[in-house]
Amino acid sequence: MKKTMCASLFAVLLAPAIAAAQAQAPKGLGTEEFGMSPRELVQAIEKTEELIARCMREQGFQYIAADHNTVRAGMSADKQLPGLSEEEFVSRYGFGVSTFYTGLPPQLATGYSPARVGLGERNVQIFRKLSPADQVAYNRALLGDDVFSTLAVALETEDLSRTGGCTRKALTETFKPDQLKASHYNPQDALINKDPRMKAAIAYWQREMKKAGFEYGHPDEIEPDLRNRLSALTEGGKLLVSKMSQDQKAALRKLQDFERLISVKSHKMHEEVLTPVEEKIQEELFSRKVQ
Amino acid sequence: MVAKRVNVLWAILGVVGGMALGAWYMGSRIQSPAEMAARTAPPEASPILVPVESRVLSSDVVTRGTVRFGLPQPISIAPSTVKGGVGLISSLPRPNTNFGEGEVILSASGRPVFVLQGVAPAFRDMAPGTSGGDVRQLEEALARLGFDPGTVDGNYDQKTSAAVERMYKKAGWDPYAPTREQRAAVVALEREWSDAARAQLAAEATRETAMKAVAAARAIAEQNTRQAALDSAARVGDSRQLADARSGKSLALETERARAAHSATAASADVATQMADRALIVLDPRQTETARAAAEAKLKVARAAQRKAKMEADLAIQTASRETALVDERIRVAEGAVKAARLEGERSVRAALEQQELAEFDVKVASERAQRLNAELTAARAKLGVQVPADEVVFIPSLPIRVNEVTAAVAANASGPVMSVTDNQLSIDSQLPLEAAPLVKPGMKVAIDEQALGIKATGIVETVANTPGTRGVDGYHFYLGVRVETTPVLLAGFSVRLTIPIETSKGAVTAVPTSAVSLAADGTSRVLVDRGGKQEYVTVQPGLSTGGYVEVNAPDDGRLVPGQLVVVGYKIAEPAAAPATVK
Repeated sequence: MKKTMCASLFAVLLAPAIAAAQAQAPKGLGTEEFGMSPRELVQAIEKTEELIARCMREQGFQYIAADHNTVRAGMSADKQLPGLSEEEFVSRYGFGVSTFYTGLPPQLATGYSPARVGLGERNVQIFRKLSPADQVAYNRALLGDDVFSTLAVALETEDLSRTGGCTRKALTETFKPDQLKASHYNPQDALINKDPRMKAAIAYWQREMKKAGFEYGHPDEIEPDLRNRLSALTEGGKLLVSKMSQDQKAALRKLQDFERLISVKSHKMHEEVLTPVEEKIQEELFSRKVQ
Repeated sequence: MVAKRVNVLWAILGVVGGMALGAWYMGSRIQSPAEMAARTAPPEASPILVPVESRVLSSDVVTRGTVRFGLPQPISIAPSTVKGGVGLISSLPRPNTNFGEGEVILSASGRPVFVLQGVAPAFRDMAPGTSGGDVRQLEEALARLGFDPGTVDGNYDQKTSAAVERMYKKAGWDPYAPTREQRAAVVALEREWSDAARAQLAAEATRETAMKAVAAARAIAEQNTRQAALDSAARVGDSRQLADARSGKSLALETERARAAHSATAASADVATQMADRALIVLDPRQTETARAAAEAKLKVARAAQRKAKMEADLAIQTASRETALVDERIRVAEGAVKAARLEGERSVRAALEQQELAEFDVKVASERAQRLNAELTAARAKLGVQVPADEVVFIPSLPIRVNEVTAAVAANASGPVMSVTDNQLSIDSQLPLEAAPLVKPGMKVAIDEQALGIKATGIVETVANTPGTRGVDGYHFYLGVRVETTPVLLAGFSVRLTIPIETSKGAVTAVPTSAVSLAADGTSRVLVDRGGKQEYVTVQPGLSTGGYVEVNAPDDGRLVPGQLVVVGYKIAEPAAAPATVK
């Protein structure tokens, strides 16, 4: 009896806080990546690109700071190909992680490459004129170990932890230290994920995915897992497909098949189960539908 | 009772809950004027202070480049004629192996291939007796290696041969001795030379004989000529007779003619006498018939005698004339004999001379052949020393070298290109933007580093292209060539950063961040110095500005010293509710 009373008392006392949390988003929380406002995102991109260019110049390389439109184009190019809807893209290429892997740096990619789009055509041309050794050094100076984690890709995936080189250095001057960590989570997403409705939706998503043979706790876990698997298979993304052994090629094909299967299932579940809930909560948080 | 108490408790809880709810709502909505003012008031600005520094300022041109060794050049092995066949490669170097002069770069069929410095490639076997630029290269290399080839004159002599032998032995290899074929060739030459010498002696003997034959022929001809001359002289009288006969004054003929004339005259006189006698008798009738017949007969006899005398005279004249004619013949015969003797003598002498010339020619030919064979034999004997087959040496213009790529395989034919090498000098291919190229000159020092690998080296600018777009760089850059001078690690293949100081403060100077310098209304430059919370402008004379710093010189000594703090800007505190996502 007493326990019931105490619980009731706590519920009454915390009710206003819960109500407040559900009522609106915290002040300063934006709708863009990393919880930034559109303006803040543009400023962050411009400043980061300028710092990258300066850093690259100090390294002896020529790098033209990409404008925010170019970076945004790179971000928007994720899972997009001309003439294909996102659903068609996912059904053919999954998340585009392992299915487009060639081993070539993004600047030398000829097909789908959000990283290449985000770097800007002028930087791609500068890169292509370099000697092979300089190309390696250029990407090491610009991107560090993971040559696919350009600024555009890192922002789009909201994972700055994989960045390196001048990009990393510029990001440390532009973003907060906790935002650079892999554990950092978009406060907006965190807020949405805390919602009981979303929790229930994710639980349903987990059960359905498990029935299909995929054990993941959240849709956001899939792409990083695919990237890690691909990285392990391709020696950190540096192994050319043409130089792979038969076993490695078979493993890559298996990973690509897995990516297509899981992405189709996840995308379908996301569209049917998670997106409606997410939009509902976003409308409540930001009083409008977030693009 | 208990139920009542419970209800009261519930009521109290409800009131407390309601009050808490109301308090929270009111607290979130009600703001005091002070709070409102504090929230809307501008934040207090605080100066951003940085220390004045004493540092070396340098303006740098920074670019990138790829380190490489010299341009790869192929190494080819020329075929050797003395060996008579191509060997099989028995050992090969590994890539990146370095070789100096006199070292064995590979081996083929148990024979070494030496690497020596030289511009022209090895193209033939070098043996005693050969001469030329390649031999000079060999001698120069031997001299550099300390093997003393004697005079460096491009002639492969015995000293060169001895030096080559020492080089081989020092490297642990047997020198290349004369082959069986070379020795057999010398023996054959010796045999030929011996034959030729004998032939020369025989020819000389023949020539001596011919010379004696000439002398004999001349003597015989002279003797014959002399004899013929004597015969001819003996015919001189006949010749005179002949001359008289030719002129019609032959004595015998004249004698015979005179005799014939006399006989004719006597016969005519006798006839006349007889005619007169006969006429006397005939006219004398007293003469008998017999007398007449006798007179007639005497006349006839006289006439017959006259005819006989005439005939005998004619005969004598004819005989004399014939004799004269015979003398002429004899003289001609004698003269012909003299000529014949002379001609015969001349012919004999000429034949003997021809024999002599022939013999002399034979002597000359035999002598020349003997001399040629003697020279060949001498040369062949000289070539029997230590030699350098063409496939046992490669000449490289610049040493030491580094193996870049091995294209041949063990057990493959040791002929043609077998590997590519580079020199041992590290160079960097780089480029400069159009605006930076005029600032960089050959000879400038270059700091080379690669931060990711922790490499630091130094170099020197070797080349700055005169025109953009050359040597593989695009049209908006100038080619820059840098020679690496000192490096702790092998940089070949690395992409490195090149920092070229183009202007320096030449020592530590007082410097502040560029943003610390501002312009006063009167046009002077100044910095705002913080002196324990109080700020004071100090007029400065700006100097070299680079790397975000500017050299400053304060006219008043002591007013601006390293360690003092200067204002570079003002920091505005972030509003408490302002977005704090991005720095």
